[in-house]
Amino acid sequence: MKAKAKKSIRQHVIIGNCIAAVTAANTLRELNPDDRIVIIGDEEVPSYSRCLITYYLGGMVTQNHLLSHAEKWYAARDIELHLATRAEGVDVKRRIVHARHNGRKKDIRYDTLLVATGSSPIFTKSFPYDPNGIVGMRTYADAQRLKAWARKGKKAIIIGAGFVGLKTAYGLVKRGVQVKVVELLPTVLGRMTDLEASRRVRDRLVRHELLDIELNNSVVATWRHRNAYVVRYQNGGEEQADFVVASVGVQANTSFLEGTGVQIDRIVCVDDYQRTTVEDIYAAGDVCRSRHIVTGQWIYNAIWPVAAAQGRIAAYNMSGQPQTYAGNIPMNSVDFYEMWITAIGDVQAEGDDIEEISFTSNTIYQKVKLRNGIPISFMAVGNVDGAGIIRGAIVGRTPWKEFIRKPQAQLLPVVNQIGGFLSKAVA
Amino acid sequence: MKAFVFRPDKCDVCRECEVACTAACSTAPRDSARYAPFIKVYQSPQGPFLRLCKHCEDTPCVDACIGESLQRGPDGIIVQDEKRCVGCFMCNMVCPHGAIKTVMGLEKAFKCTLVCGDGDHPACVAACDRDALQFDDFSTTVKRRRTRKIQGIVKK
Repeated sequence: MKAKAKKSIRQHVIIGNCIAAVTAANTLRELNPDDRIVIIGDEEVPSYSRCLITYYLGGMVTQNHLLSHAEKWYAARDIELHLATRAEGVDVKRRIVHARHNGRKKDIRYDTLLVATGSSPIFTKSFPYDPNGIVGMRTYADAQRLKAWARKGKKAIIIGAGFVGLKTAYGLVKRGVQVKVVELLPTVLGRMTDLEASRRVRDRLVRHELLDIELNNSVVATWRHRNAYVVRYQNGGEEQADFVVASVGVQANTSFLEGTGVQIDRIVCVDDYQRTTVEDIYAAGDVCRSRHIVTGQWIYNAIWPVAAAQGRIAAYNMSGQPQTYAGNIPMNSVDFYEMWITAIGDVQAEGDDIEEISFTSNTIYQKVKLRNGIPISFMAVGNVDGAGIIRGAIVGRTPWKEFIRKPQAQLLPVVNQIGGFLSKAVA
Repeated sequence: MKAFVFRPDKCDVCRECEVACTAACSTAPRDSARYAPFIKVYQSPQGPFLRLCKHCEDTPCVDACIGESLQRGPDGIIVQDEKRCVGCFMCNMVCPHGAIKTVMGLEKAFKCTLVCGDGDHPACVAACDRDALQFDDFSTTVKRRRTRKIQGIVKK
């Protein structure tokens, strides 16, 4: 009864400490000046941008910039921060999070709980996790470790040529490490490119003498040999390296939710209000699903803007102000040696009803896919100017015929088929 | 909060704004100044198109920025910390105005941060003698747009 009398002060507990958690904590503080907010993070350092760790490895951002959310950021918002604390279980009936810090148990009571634990790299039997030489690239600790190993004359093998794999390779090469990337698919950057775009990206990267990318190949076994690691490929070849980075994909960190009744289908199933199937437990970020804003289907869209938006929406709902999240479309953008690559929407869509419009020149490759005359995806290599304009058309379902009549659409080579800016041709 | 308003029907693509932007930025105490102009007018058969950061009310670029380089400043202007930019171009991918600019030789994104004219009288607006470009209070521009919409001058 006492608790009811004091119901105005509630305890919001957030597990995880990246963008979804930080956005949620910030929004919660804005909405509830009096409530208690607790963040449980399993890393040693306060929040930082996980997307930046590969740039940190390559020396493109400094440590100060990476770790900008110092502990005073939390103090200024009166947020209780538990670092190096790992959540091990949730007692739904008693509303307690069981956590562990330096081997000691910690029980934290919650009124509302936000799961924002993100995801971690996948390791398999062919390349099991080994802290001395077979690692992933996901956290600040990973980046620090690779930074310490990355010396001139060393050699690294990266398994998987997705966004993380290639960005890690790019960072390691900048440190003078010889890098070999092995990819199972015939394209680099996974599902965001087609063969032509992949060829351009690969050509640009392997122009650097330290970097090699091998496609259509995979790793079947890895073992330690003296101070190095030996990797055996599917095609029978063997190669030795000083360390191995696995970047074949990620899995959501959901193990501590077992037995709570939260519905998990590899990732946490949430509704439009970011609620899980258990009362007062919410989820946001890479750990849960989100909607495809155009088709309305549930997809796994683990990108920065989605995590930030989900964190904000979850905070509103945790404060008793219902809000829904409409979702986003899959998209990503990256830069290698001043060649920008942007992919928006369902780039891999295929079928009879798909129409393709592309533009190809020596330096530019752009492709738009239309379904029933409406753009559903855009991919650009070399010149990505105005990608946001076409994203507007994809999200707003503007018919292509209508879109190409707009003045702003003329910025895109795929629309005017001239390549450079139309101004050069007309003005 | 103020915002840019462009009226394509009044613009004759004289490019005075581009010249003024370059001139103003070159004297501004910022590193980015030498990469101006941040305003660009394109002539297309469908009419002129202005490429310029509008400092929108909802900020997709700030939400998408992985390095916290783009931030909403205290006076409502979206400012950029170049040291934090890693050139991923996530901002370009979500910007509905195509306002993000590449500069050859630098792996960074650049945009208008209103360094000129005390942030109140931008050089490009001052240079426009046909009233095609205006910088007004946000609510005023919305009201004006609404009136024009009722009058049937613009579609949206």
